[in-house]
Amino acid sequence: MEYAPQLYSAALRMTRNPADAEDVVQETFLKAYRGYGSYQEGTNLKAWLYRILTNTYINKYRKAQRRPNEVELGELQDLYLYRRLGEQSGATESAETTALEMFVDEDIIEAIESLPENFRLPVLYADVDGFSYKEIAEILDVPIGTVMSRLHRGRKALQRKLWNLAVEHGLVEPTP
Amino acid sequence: MSGCEHAVEYVYQYIDDEMTLTRRSRVTMHLKRCSKCTDAFEFERKLRAKIESCGKSQPPPELFDHLRALIQQERNTGDADC
Repeated sequence: MEYAPQLYSAALRMTRNPADAEDVVQETFLKAYRGYGSYQEGTNLKAWLYRILTNTYINKYRKAQRRPNEVELGELQDLYLYRRLGEQSGATESAETTALEMFVDEDIIEAIESLPENFRLPVLYADVDGFSYKEIAEILDVPIGTVMSRLHRGRKALQRKLWNLAVEHGLVEPTP
Repeated sequence: MSGCEHAVEYVYQYIDDEMTLTRRSRVTMHLKRCSKCTDAFEFERKLRAKIESCGKSQPPPELFDHLRALIQQERNTGDADC
């Protein structure tokens, strides 16, 4: 039960729905209980559980959604949000960091949940759950280079979404 | 490549602490000299912390009861099979 709250939180960001999140967590625990024999004592239990969680989610929802597994994000500038905020008229030194305070929790959640799945999961696992690149590679069963590339691109896309939300809410002046 | 370009290229590996010591110290040296990059790195770090705190949601309290019941049921089924 130790990891139940974290697993639920990750499942909620994946499914975007409390009932589905609970289903995924229940199935994950059941599979973990049944498959405990395949867990090697002394290895990373949290990562092992996240791997089951990820596979459960993918098997359950990817089929249902019939979405392509891989989505591309297009070209994204480094430091996307930082640069946009810095372009605001009257922006003073370090104004960008202060400007982060205008985003409420719901904006951040909306931005995370807006990411295509293949970018959302690495961002969640790194930023929210604090896994290392190596652990994420094991959980998602992809090479570490793929983790880095998706994580970095996912973060930039999340920043673009936050910027768009700030524009929609009239909190910043749109830049051309 | 300028010091700034180099630093920005490694910003995520730097804040994630996923760099070799040698590469990391090259970026640290640059940050000591460049307030713009220091500012940008601080921004990325703050945003990451914000994502971490906002991305966490508390499960409904009954989740734990449901999980316990589920495992108990599984145990009973297992016993019956023996």
